[in-house]
Amino acid sequence: MSISIEAKTQSVFDELAARQTWRFKHIVIIALVVAFLVWCADGVNLRPREVFNAVPIIGDYFARMWPPKWGFVEQIWKPSLETLYVALWGNVLATIVGLPLGLLAASSVNHSSVLRSGAMGVLNVFRSISELIWAILFVAAVGLGPFPGALALGMNYGGILGRLYAEAIENVDKGPIEAMEATGASRLQVVLFAILPQALPQFVTYNLYWFEVGVRSATVLGMVGAGGIGFELITSIRLFEWREVGLILLFILGMVTIIDHASTFIRSRLY
Amino acid sequence: MDQPMLMPNTTKTKTILSVQDLTKSYGGAIHALRGINVDVHEGEFLVILGPSGAGKSTLLRCLNRLVEPTSGKILHNGEEITGKRVNLRALRQEFGMVFQQFNLVKRLSVLTNVLTGRLGYRSTWRSLFYNFSKEDKKIAIESLARVNMEHKAFQRADTLSGGEQQRVAIARALAQQPTIILADEPVASLDPKIARQVLNYLKQVTHELGITVICNLHQVEYTREFAERIVGMSRGKVVFEGTAEDLTDEILHRIYYKDPDEEEKNGK
Amino acid sequence: MTSATFESAVQATLQREVQVRLRRYLKLAIYGAIAVAALWYAAVQIKLSFGALISGVPFMWDFITRLFPPDFSYLSVLGNATIETIQIAIWGTLLAILLSIPLSFLGARNTTPHIIVFHLTRLLLNSLRAINELVFALIFVSAVGLGPFAGVLAVALHATGMLAKFCAEEIEGVDKGQVEAQMAAGATRMQVILFGVTPQIIPQFIGYAIYRLDVSIRSATVLGFVGAGGLGFSLIQTMKLFKYHQTATCIFVIFLLVLVSDWICGKLRRKVI
Repeated sequence: MSISIEAKTQSVFDELAARQTWRFKHIVIIALVVAFLVWCADGVNLRPREVFNAVPIIGDYFARMWPPKWGFVEQIWKPSLETLYVALWGNVLATIVGLPLGLLAASSVNHSSVLRSGAMGVLNVFRSISELIWAILFVAAVGLGPFPGALALGMNYGGILGRLYAEAIENVDKGPIEAMEATGASRLQVVLFAILPQALPQFVTYNLYWFEVGVRSATVLGMVGAGGIGFELITSIRLFEWREVGLILLFILGMVTIIDHASTFIRSRLY
Repeated sequence: MDQPMLMPNTTKTKTILSVQDLTKSYGGAIHALRGINVDVHEGEFLVILGPSGAGKSTLLRCLNRLVEPTSGKILHNGEEITGKRVNLRALRQEFGMVFQQFNLVKRLSVLTNVLTGRLGYRSTWRSLFYNFSKEDKKIAIESLARVNMEHKAFQRADTLSGGEQQRVAIARALAQQPTIILADEPVASLDPKIARQVLNYLKQVTHELGITVICNLHQVEYTREFAERIVGMSRGKVVFEGTAEDLTDEILHRIYYKDPDEEEKNGK
Repeated sequence: MTSATFESAVQATLQREVQVRLRRYLKLAIYGAIAVAALWYAAVQIKLSFGALISGVPFMWDFITRLFPPDFSYLSVLGNATIETIQIAIWGTLLAILLSIPLSFLGARNTTPHIIVFHLTRLLLNSLRAINELVFALIFVSAVGLGPFAGVLAVALHATGMLAKFCAEEIEGVDKGQVEAQMAAGATRMQVILFGVTPQIIPQFIGYAIYRLDVSIRSATVLGFVGAGGLGFSLIQTMKLFKYHQTATCIFVIFLLVLVSDWICGKLRRKVI
């Protein structure tokens, strides 16, 4: 060994010390971030003392929900199921909206970049407008009830799913596509036989996930009159009937849990 | 460090570790170790040779109690370490371990990985902020220097090649300042030239520092090149004990092909 | 293989192929029938009708024309509301991150101190996830009053459920070898978590937290519907006052905000992962 171990150790040790001193720059950045966060907190009336005071108050409110008013089941089991139907058709409509747009927005399917940007733009508009706002629009169109709720989910989630589909299509293994094109297959055939079979499992995963999310969204659509349990929920809260609220929340938790397990089951059977 | 150095294989006699009648079975059906009796001498480079499934990994893990033996005793410097009252943390400080898969934390730097070898000496609260003392850092860097990896101290561990990662893993074990290093198939994932390099580092450095090494290997050539003493294992039993010269083809056949139970029945 | 056995092997496979295909069609038919039946039933229940949709188009059109053109002078008023929306999302996500750190370790099988703690934590997280932020916001507005404070808490609780469950699953999936190495070196349980487990999950954690921030901004825009601050409040107010042109401006600003936040968060996530 030409250089002694002590000498090597010392040189690395010095370098370590040097690396740790330029942390001063970091301190400035941290200070700025902290200042920004303090400003944000002030803007939303968030103060530590308020938060600590709020915890027991909120705990008290949740305590008032127990025990749940079991008799209320009669009035909410139907709207609860309605929530599921809204989410179900919301998902179907979202697929109907999202699939063609997603295909158009994918570069491996669509070679015209103008058309692609157009499709992407439409998808972005759909997903950026909250489903509640869509719901208001559709309620104005077809009246109160669960149908506008499904339409609203269809539009909003159509945009979301469409973008996800496009991404999945673009991430597909290009090998089979090349092979198919080499055999002289038309664009449509390439899509059907090389792209879609590969992307389909991913599509199903997305649909299952967003169906779950959709159920949770559908629970509040009723607040603007678009069906589901949202209307009963907001009514009970406004009337301070906390035990009814407790029952509704329990129902929602139950529905979501069942769907969670069911979708895990379906996913495992699929692969 | 590329040529295997001819190290004086002086016979060491002081027993540092004594394994007595060690057994380990899983659920009463799978008998990984069936009555192991082995003595390890201080400062030696002991190789445990045997095919996969012979129980070498299990034996090593019983020594630092990552695996709990079913019965039997292990004595370290005369003191029993298999009892229930043993301080596991203090025990594991004494045993450094090197794994086949290296087991470095991929996202952390090489230096931080070696520093984790010092965790046995640091209180939990101190390490909460990923903070190590100056002395720890010196020991860690020195360990790296011993395996010639100090120039990569600040790189992320997963940017290194396999041989380099294993050398860092050895440095991590050295940083513990252990009395014994347990190496479980340390070179099984490396190609021959790199494997020899790594085993060289292992033997040379531990020899310099007087650390005892118990090394599991399944490759016969490496065993012959590096072992000072060899223990042959087959299906949970010790079937051979001796030096490289004693390792005849017949003995190898016994280790690799024969069933030790059958042999006992045939009165060998 | 002789040509005779070759022929018979081909024949056998052909027969099997027919059987496999029939079985697959049968399965598809059964599942398909169930799906169609379920969808049909649901469609009836929600009174799905494309006829109604078509005849509703003029109403939609009427509604939209009332919105256009947006009143751009209203933009200056919305400045504060927009900032408030962003602040709600930031602090909601931040609180969620703080709460998720302990909860995700408690909710992971390999790092939880006791199996009962694990199940209780999972129950808590599932409850937080199941309930929409708007519902929390409604309850909190009753509890702590109108304003963005309720909104922050609502966002925080829901996001905690999502973030902690995600991290718990990541923690359960870490490479056990790296953990074993730390244990072998004599590290305490806490040290093993710090050095063996945590470094493995940090990029995914940060990436998902950024995603949650994006989602929170989206949610925060509508929290105002129930009085919990942000742009949603302006939107509802303008609708109640029939000032639809200003409503359009609100929708436009919300749309822009979501678009920008989505773009920024996307870029940040790519840098992290």
